[in-house]
Amino acid sequence: MVIDFSTYYDLPRNLDTFFEELWRPSSLSQRRISYPPVNISESEGNFIVRSEIPGMDVQDVELTLNEKSLVIRGTKKSEVGSYYRQERPTGNFQRIVNLNVAVETDAVKASMKDGVLEVVLPKAKESRPVTITIDAQ
Amino acid sequence: MSNELEKKTLPALPRFRPNTDVLEREEGFYIFMDMPGVNKETLSIDLRENEMEIRGKAVYPRDEDAKALHVEFGDGEYVRTFTISDGVDREGIKANLKNGQLELFLPKAARFKPRRIEIQAG
Repeated sequence: MVIDFSTYYDLPRNLDTFFEELWRPSSLSQRRISYPPVNISESEGNFIVRSEIPGMDVQDVELTLNEKSLVIRGTKKSEVGSYYRQERPTGNFQRIVNLNVAVETDAVKASMKDGVLEVVLPKAKESRPVTITIDAQ
Repeated sequence: MSNELEKKTLPALPRFRPNTDVLEREEGFYIFMDMPGVNKETLSIDLRENEMEIRGKAVYPRDEDAKALHVEFGDGEYVRTFTISDGVDREGIKANLKNGQLELFLPKAARFKPRRIEIQAG
């Protein structure tokens, strides 16, 4: 009888990589390739979109909301002077966050603190979970 | 493996080198650093001899009732050290933190400032 153990031989290493993945700080969904970086979270009643846009006032960031998406747009100006080092991105930026559920467009709130933009999008009534009571007979 | 696990569960913040611009204008040098999430209380600037160390912590509040759907940034510590030359007037260094952006102004020492030499008509 031949038993193929090959898939189990790598088990210790597999376990290690599994834990590596699990404990990686903040377990980023995506590498920082798009600017600005965006976090999306969901609570019972809201979607919360946060974005790191340092050096911008809230009125300099243009937020557009339509049925399908939230667009974060703006321009980062560069400083005047002779540069020795330039690492900070400048110019126009845009991020599009797709929303696949309806939100209450009129109740969306945006704020900016310490260079972090926070947009709270309340879910529309029809997309909130509804508890259905079952009557026992 | 268990040791490794313990190490990783410690709340050590990942370290970042913040994106920095260094530029010179007539009156001095300007350093701009992107430190989103850092406020005045969590920022420290230390000047030792000719080394200037900037540290800032960004710790975002946990919202317990919300679950993360997509994560591209998180808590972190920004650390960066600069070497300051003698051409800088140390007493005059100014720091200003606004909207997660740190601006440092390092004025030139008087003897390095450009000055116009007056010509005397003989």
